[in-house]
Amino acid sequence: MSQFKDLDPILHSQLRLAVMSLLISVKDAEFSWLREKTNATAGNLSVQINKLKEAGYIDVSKKFRDNYPLTTCTVTKKGAHAFDEYVKNLKQYLK
Amino acid sequence: MEHVEKEMTSEESLRIITEMIQTAKSGIKDNGFFYLLWGWLVFIACVSQYFFLYVVYNQYNWLAWAILMPLGGVVSTLYGIRLGRKEKVKTYLDQFMSYVLIAFLMSLFTVLFYTARTNNPALGYPLIMMVYGAWLFISGGALKFKPLVIGGCINWVLALISMFLDFQWQLVMLALAVLLGYIIPGHLLKANHKEQ
Repeated sequence: MSQFKDLDPILHSQLRLAVMSLLISVKDAEFSWLREKTNATAGNLSVQINKLKEAGYIDVSKKFRDNYPLTTCTVTKKGAHAFDEYVKNLKQYLK
Repeated sequence: MEHVEKEMTSEESLRIITEMIQTAKSGIKDNGFFYLLWGWLVFIACVSQYFFLYVVYNQYNWLAWAILMPLGGVVSTLYGIRLGRKEKVKTYLDQFMSYVLIAFLMSLFTVLFYTARTNNPALGYPLIMMVYGAWLFISGGALKFKPLVIGGCINWVLALISMFLDFQWQLVMLALAVLLGYIIPGHLLKANHKEQ
């Protein structure tokens, strides 16, 4: 069994993996766009985004636009590397 | 996406990754607005200058350029700001297109400045068409939209032909260049956007 590396527990979760897969494909994205694409609730998405941020996988910037809060997320280099590793390890399971 | 975190199989992980990457891929976002705006403005300015210069022999033949170009600048800026506010996601293609736009505007500005300094529009028009050609060719390639690529090639050919023509015919060539490079591809881009 040692031939399989453990999958990163931060990424091995439905919503966090979905968020990372979306963010890896774009330069940056607003919270509302991520919510729209994942069909997640704002609360749940917020919790998962925080977990990704704490792991250093994404950067979250909070600004205001027209007096409304605007949250924008971007994948960090560490996050991109972790995602890459996750996909590589996943391929081993699928062989 | 479900609330509760449950154990995922490797197949499920792969499905989520594939689905989300496909979701993030948007088609061509460009609705052709800028191509149509500038295409029509330059076309009208060319036709107007031709009319006043060679039909009614008026000394204010350049007036349409002086009015329409700043107007285009204001409309483009306002529309660009509005577009930026509506944009919820920025792709790498968006970032690339911003750099291409800056390169285009800087090149165009340099050519226009040189033309004004030498006071020789006959020198400037072929160079303007050359810059248009580069912008259309690169944008079309990046958007994978053939009519813009073809429009770019047409602009290069017309730029070369214009180098052998006098100013009167250069105006006709420039009008033709924006018609084939901006206006027609712009309308096709708009139709493509509506279809999506």
